[in-house]
Amino acid sequence: MNPFSALRSATMGALLAVATLLGSPPSFAQTAYEAPLPAQINTDPDLCAHVACTEVLPTASSFSHRMGKPTYVEGYRDDAGQRKLVGYVFLSTDIVDIPAYSGKPVITLIGMDTDGIITGTKILRHSEPILLLGIPESVLTKFVNQYLGKFVGDKIEIGKARNEEGYIGLDAITGATVTVIAQNQVVMRSGVAIARQVGILKVEPRPAIRYSAIDERLSWEQLLKDGSVRRLTVKSEQLGMPRTAEPYVDMFFGHLNTPSVGKSILGESGYTSLMSRLKDNEHAIFIISNGYDSFKGSGFVRGGIYDRVQVSQDMDAYTFRDLDYLNLWGVQAPGAPSYKESAIFIIRDPGFAAAYPWSLVFLGNKLDRNTGHRDFVSFDSEYWVPAKYMEGGRPKVVKPDAPWVRVWKMRTVEIVLFSILLVGVAAVYAMRDRLTRLSTRKNKWPVDGFKYAAWLISIFFVGFYLLAQPSITQVLTWFHALLFQWKWELFLTDPFIFLFWIFIIVTVFLWGRGLFCGWLCPFGSLSELLYKVGAKLGLKRFQFMLPMKWHNRLKWVKYFVFFGLLAVSMLSMGLAEKLAEVEPFKTTFLVGLFSRSWPYTLFAAGLLGLSIFTERPFCKYLCPLGAALAMPSTFRWFGLKRKQECDSCKACAVGCGSLAIDDKGRIDHRECMLCLDCMVMYTDEHACPPLAQERKRRTKAGLALTPIGADGYYIPIKPVAAATPKA
Amino acid sequence: MQETKMNTVEAMPDPSRRKFLNTAAFAGLAGAGLSVGLSACNKESAPAAGAPAAAGAPVAAAKAAYNDPHLKPGELDTYYGLWSGGHTGDFRVLGLPSGRELHRVPCFVPDALVGWGHTNESKKIMGTKADGSLRYTVGDTHHTHASYKDGNYDGRYAWINDKINSRIARIRLDYFVCDKITELPNVQGFHGIFPDKRDPVDPAVNYTTRVFCGAEFHIPLPNDGRDVDSPEKYRTLFSCVDAETMEVRWQALIDGNCDLVATSFDGKLAATNQYNTEGGYHYEGMMSAERDACLFFNIARIEQAVKDGKYTTYGTSRVPVVDATRAANTDPKTALVCSVSVPKNPHGVNASPDAKYFICAGKLSPTATVIELSKVLDWFDGKLDDEDKAIVAEVELGLGPLHTAFDGRGNAYTTLFLDSQIVKWNVDAAIKFHSGDKSAQYVVDRLDVHYQPGHINASQSETMFADGKWLCVGCKFSKDRFLPVGPLHAETEQFVDISGEKMVLVADHPVRPEPHDFIIFKRELLQPKQVYDINEFPLAVKDPKEAGVFRDGNKVTVKITSLAPAFEPREFKLQLGDEVTIILTNLDKIEDLTHGFAIPKYNVNFIVNPQETASVTFIADKPGVFWCYCTHFCHALHLEMRSRMIVEA
Repeated sequence: MNPFSALRSATMGALLAVATLLGSPPSFAQTAYEAPLPAQINTDPDLCAHVACTEVLPTASSFSHRMGKPTYVEGYRDDAGQRKLVGYVFLSTDIVDIPAYSGKPVITLIGMDTDGIITGTKILRHSEPILLLGIPESVLTKFVNQYLGKFVGDKIEIGKARNEEGYIGLDAITGATVTVIAQNQVVMRSGVAIARQVGILKVEPRPAIRYSAIDERLSWEQLLKDGSVRRLTVKSEQLGMPRTAEPYVDMFFGHLNTPSVGKSILGESGYTSLMSRLKDNEHAIFIISNGYDSFKGSGFVRGGIYDRVQVSQDMDAYTFRDLDYLNLWGVQAPGAPSYKESAIFIIRDPGFAAAYPWSLVFLGNKLDRNTGHRDFVSFDSEYWVPAKYMEGGRPKVVKPDAPWVRVWKMRTVEIVLFSILLVGVAAVYAMRDRLTRLSTRKNKWPVDGFKYAAWLISIFFVGFYLLAQPSITQVLTWFHALLFQWKWELFLTDPFIFLFWIFIIVTVFLWGRGLFCGWLCPFGSLSELLYKVGAKLGLKRFQFMLPMKWHNRLKWVKYFVFFGLLAVSMLSMGLAEKLAEVEPFKTTFLVGLFSRSWPYTLFAAGLLGLSIFTERPFCKYLCPLGAALAMPSTFRWFGLKRKQECDSCKACAVGCGSLAIDDKGRIDHRECMLCLDCMVMYTDEHACPPLAQERKRRTKAGLALTPIGADGYYIPIKPVAAATPKA
Repeated sequence: MQETKMNTVEAMPDPSRRKFLNTAAFAGLAGAGLSVGLSACNKESAPAAGAPAAAGAPVAAAKAAYNDPHLKPGELDTYYGLWSGGHTGDFRVLGLPSGRELHRVPCFVPDALVGWGHTNESKKIMGTKADGSLRYTVGDTHHTHASYKDGNYDGRYAWINDKINSRIARIRLDYFVCDKITELPNVQGFHGIFPDKRDPVDPAVNYTTRVFCGAEFHIPLPNDGRDVDSPEKYRTLFSCVDAETMEVRWQALIDGNCDLVATSFDGKLAATNQYNTEGGYHYEGMMSAERDACLFFNIARIEQAVKDGKYTTYGTSRVPVVDATRAANTDPKTALVCSVSVPKNPHGVNASPDAKYFICAGKLSPTATVIELSKVLDWFDGKLDDEDKAIVAEVELGLGPLHTAFDGRGNAYTTLFLDSQIVKWNVDAAIKFHSGDKSAQYVVDRLDVHYQPGHINASQSETMFADGKWLCVGCKFSKDRFLPVGPLHAETEQFVDISGEKMVLVADHPVRPEPHDFIIFKRELLQPKQVYDINEFPLAVKDPKEAGVFRDGNKVTVKITSLAPAFEPREFKLQLGDEVTIILTNLDKIEDLTHGFAIPKYNVNFIVNPQETASVTFIADKPGVFWCYCTHFCHALHLEMRSRMIVEA
């Protein structure tokens, strides 16, 4: 919770308490409790003459009259004298009649932009006694504010988010579940209704169910086996409570309109009697339940809404009112278990399509006995009338893919291109010997051509376009996933980062971190490119390198940063993520230099500016990701080549931009960016001092200049004759 | 044990009047002694009951523990019971087997809770005098029976009689409210009542369309002051009421009187037992004949006679009355009625669920008479030369047999008022016994009940689907069965498990006096509605904006809505002397969210259930402020739910 809002509510509470103590009569003038609304609000075509439409659709400056069925108004922005549609505003009671706890609707004004994103919600009037008697009204306002920025087509439910299943969670109000469940229905159903009407959401026509001629009586076992009856079990531990022998609830449920199911459950006369009570398009389901808690609860007593169970189908959720409940007198199917609680619920909304899959949703809650705080958690179990009971079997349903699958499908082209890039860079590097031989100190283009291309692609395609800048936060997340719970879905949701990391892990252990850091890291590439461009632009004389003494001290800073973040993440992932802003990646690529507040911009710009004058200052001294990759680089499989003279020569150490070659000529693969400059020299008979020496010697001696071997030396001249033994 | 009982039956004294009184006194004494038997009986139902199963009764049945009528919290009853309330004048709804009273439906008499007899709507149903006051405020309900379809209850209606003022009320079983009351013309002592089960002629009408009503008391026709001193001219009528319109379709002038009524499952016959064929006007006269009768009505022939114009009318009544007297119906082939004799002041006539028999209990005769319906129809067809040949059994059961219930397995259960017992007897065995097979053991079991049982009924007993699970018996005396509360005693409704060979008494329930008849049927046969349909009320105030005071001279209509926790308007002004009509609609839609509306000092209180509308009319004859408040708990702000009625002087 935001500390400021906590302070604010505390202050409000204190003020209210003082007001009460002073004995002033309670005034509801400032609240929406039973707020008097102009009578025309429900009928006047000019809705916005009576309510503040701009509050929920701030981008609009003018509004149309009510239109459509159910009604809404359009909001317009004045765009150079042209009215431009920016969104829609609608009054909940025009669209849905969902009474809340009080039995009366919470009258809510809702704004939505042309993409179906909710831009505002305002409670005009409610009658919720609970918000008068115990819970401040502000919590309801806070609750509805959670819808801001959410897409009406999303699955939004009360309780913890279930990302894998595509559900977005909303924090409930402890002690006012009925209110928030009703309010969630109000906002989502109205939003969806209008979004469908104006074409934001596509309406797939779903034909009504037609039952096949099969009419059989099944035992309980058979009902379970063919899916006519499904089970939804919620255990205590799933609600974060101590494990119990008996589950929290253990429900069996099924669709009673399907003749074979309904008659098997209710018996012939019970089925006929139930069907006679249903209108066309109404559907009945039954639930029987065991477990130590109730699926009915007591929320329905005053509010009339069952707040623990509902049926969901795609974007629609169907809650049950007390008038949708009928007694289930018994289960006829032989072998049925005994049960503690039962119900027949009627789904009256014609939008429910029985031929298609639906889910029974149970909203469990966990009470913290110390604080009285409740956590709400949803569980569901899918039901689909067995194919044999439907004429023509089950209709074809395009199941929405898991979010990660959707992303992979949606971005296939980019994923292929990106994979080509990764494989290409690895292939290029695998052929580095050939490239370094083609290069000389004076002409490194055979290597640099590939590298610069990789940089440019990395900066613009990978960085700015794909936003695939790997970050230390991913490393932290992995650590946590390894320690606590590994979920592939979590990592698969970003295919580029996922592939990038496969590349990173493989190359770090093959060749060290340099291939990623030096060739493909978007920020690293940008940083070094600035340095190179700076040199070309005549800034070379201002360019400098830190003395080795300071470099050797400062290079350890990044390890401190890394371990610091790791330690903080164990305490608070949120704080660690904030501190990970030490990476300027978010500012540079993900958000944009000019879209952030000035301290971030200044930091990123400063680092990039500094890069013009010294090579990769961030990578060398600060980058926690680099530090994390540097450590395993110690164990890379293939290092760069050295020759005997290297420990005294130091010629390449002078040109090493990464300052990775120490005074003994050893390459520190933790620091090396694999620029391959030293490898170019390695085979450059004009640049590598030992080779140059040999070249001069042979030239003087008139010896042939044999090709340079894999060991970096001229292949030794061995007369063939001498090799032939005489005797 | 059966043998001894049979023998005592043989040894029973001649049931003359003097002996009868003696026996009654003796039975009262015997009651005290029976408490010993009671404790033995209780022991029998305990697990140790296996031992006395020597008499050839199946061991399994004797060993089987009885079914427990007690429900756990939250558990629902499996049967509905519809109960008469006697001279409380109401209609009651019980849950069974628990015996919990769930509802009382006011019909004939005012009710302070719901405002029955106070609201204009209920007054209209009850009937008012010219000055607007209720015509009657007392009632005496005895018999309630529900509408049928295909031989089972269909959950539409129940009917109940008012013996005092000869009224029949209809209860809608979707809302459990009384929607119509009809006063029967030219009769007194309207007692028995039974709906038909299908049309005698039209096979498509396989459901109830008529309700038959029997009148006990002989009166002059019309009863306008004539013939008051000539009791021999007093007559009774048997009435047929239309189930839908509640108009009296026709009446039949008969010899003797009517008591209880039964109808056949084929719709062709209705019957009433007659205890006063003598036309006596003091009890001695009423019990002078050794045999009275069960009178069968041929419905199709009576309605044909009405259609043919063969009827008369009495006094101001326009109801056609056919002549169903013996004298006018000598030829069986055209007779409207068939009179089968039954011993001495019979009581109760009950149709067996196999649709074959009607059974009349003897009351002053220790017998039950089994009449085979096909033989009665044969008589009407001229194929049977003597009405009494329709009697297929007339067997002794015990002292004071009154009413009979059935278990669907061929057994009948008859209350023995004087013996304070229920006797379970097998109808087929009784028929065998009657036809000469003296070895036929028709009495299966006897059970002491506490005390003096009147009506008896079993689950689904009056349908073709009698299931033989539970039996309830209404005992007229409770004596020592409950904590004493002064001279007025509750009555005892006793609950009996009849699923086994032996009856097991499982529960005592005190009931406020005094229910008579009742029916018990499966819960799934009803589909009660949870809230009202606002459109059923023409006066409904459907929106709070329609609320307010509407004046027309000194006639003022105040339209009020209730929506927890407020009435709208929250105050309204009247002038002293105004004739005020308050119309209140409860706009709450939540199940069970009922509001009350009381006006202090104006003697007004009534309730409105969700989506219901009710109105009251009164003269604003007291100036001042009167807080109209909600009397039916509704909301956390229930106490605050008020409206100010200001009567300006």
